Amino acid sequence: MVTRNVQTLHRLHTAGSWNGLMVSLRVIIRSPIPGPVPQGTIRLYSMKYCPYAQRTRLVLEAKGIKYETININLIRKPDWFFEKNPLGLVPVLETSQNQLIYESPITCEFLDESYSGRKLLPADPYEKARQKMLLEHFSKLTGCMYKILRSRQKSEDTSELEEGFWNHLCFFEQCLSVAKTPFFGGDAVTMVDYMLWPWFERMEAFSLHKGRLLHSVLLLWSPLHRRD
Amino acid sequence: MSAKALSKGSPIPGPVPQGTIRLYSMKYCPYAQRTRLVLEAKGIKYETININLIRKPDWFFEKNPLGLVPVLETSQNQLIYESPITCEFLDESYSGRKLLPADPYEKARQKMLLEHFSKLTGCMYKILRSRQKSEDTSELEEGFWNHLCFFEQCLSVAKTPFFGGDAVTMVDYMLWPWFERMEAFSLHKFLDNTPCLRNWIKVMVQDPAIKATAIDSKTYKDFYILYAQRSPEACDYTS
Repeated sequence: MVTRNVQTLHRLHTAGSWNGLMVSLRVIIRSPIPGPVPQGTIRLYSMKYCPYAQRTRLVLEAKGIKYETININLIRKPDWFFEKNPLGLVPVLETSQNQLIYESPITCEFLDESYSGRKLLPADPYEKARQKMLLEHFSKLTGCMYKILRSRQKSEDTSELEEGFWNHLCFFEQCLSVAKTPFFGGDAVTMVDYMLWPWFERMEAFSLHKGRLLHSVLLLWSPLHRRD
Repeated sequence: MSAKALSKGSPIPGPVPQGTIRLYSMKYCPYAQRTRLVLEAKGIKYETININLIRKPDWFFEKNPLGLVPVLETSQNQLIYESPITCEFLDESYSGRKLLPADPYEKARQKMLLEHFSKLTGCMYKILRSRQKSEDTSELEEGFWNHLCFFEQCLSVAKTPFFGGDAVTMVDYMLWPWFERMEAFSLHKFLDNTPCLRNWIKVMVQDPAIKATAIDSKTYKDFYILYAQRSPEACDYTS
């Protein structure tokens, strides 16, 4: 750690960037690697607005797990963060036994299996598989959402992408209307609802809540979820 | 296994008999091979219906809206797709040898490894596509080498022959199909510098499930030429 800091400082100094050096010093001084995780608690590396990290936070809250949060500046990531997750992304869980778990669905499943109490994943292998297949479909919907956002930033025409987004949304609408249940896993909130939720919370911020009328069934799921 | 692949216009298969599980597959698909490895390793009674992925039957989209193999169909008409989901479903549904670790952290470790591996396979396919367009692949091959090193390091740090310890577990089967195709993809020269991975390959080829599903490099090479040309006969190719 010390060696790396010295090397970084040297590189910046020889590049002649005093401002860069000051910024780097601030970053280095301000974010030393956190200490170990205390017994009886689990640590979440997160970012306030990250939807993927929100999945993990939803599970932590839903299961009443004792946790501490360390927020990461995803624009100016601390070097040590790559020791926690080589992919450099949140969410990451760290246990008091120094175990590191990353990738949002993996963190959520780890929490559900490791902690007793309310089980969010179904016990039945097929029902569990159904939830995971739904998640796979959902990744296409979120992929669409991000493509639309990037296209808009470039002031491109998004009508074709929005058509694709609508089709993906219909798939989820159909899941609820065919099942005739308020939630994606039945009559109560289960893991899959929490996995999907963060993007629906952002629908309005992404300006995707209008355009086509959200069918009443999907609309019904949203308010139900807000109450959770 | 060598049954002719069903194409567009073929009738929808009948129900799955009791006591058996059906796998929709394609002889040369590495993702479907994952599921076949688990079926073999756990000694599960199964039947295979091969799908012509170049001329997919319309009814296949009722089995998997994404139109991909592998798909499992049970005698209760349950459909499961996406290779990791099929493998986990089989491990949980069938008793006997457990391939996934019981410990939540060890299970999570295997899944994280799989995530890293998807970057390696992504790299492999980019290299193949670039070569088809006669583009320069040196930068992509650099990336591929870095990803391969990650896996080499996993084994050298753990000092175990397999990715999950001293015996074959789920993650080994999940990685295997692409290593079986390394030579067909002309990427096997990279293994010259990865002694732990070479050792892993040496012990993996002894595994009975792997022996049951193995195909030689020359046959893969010939298949991939036909598949790249989108030949409707590719999926039924026999050497």
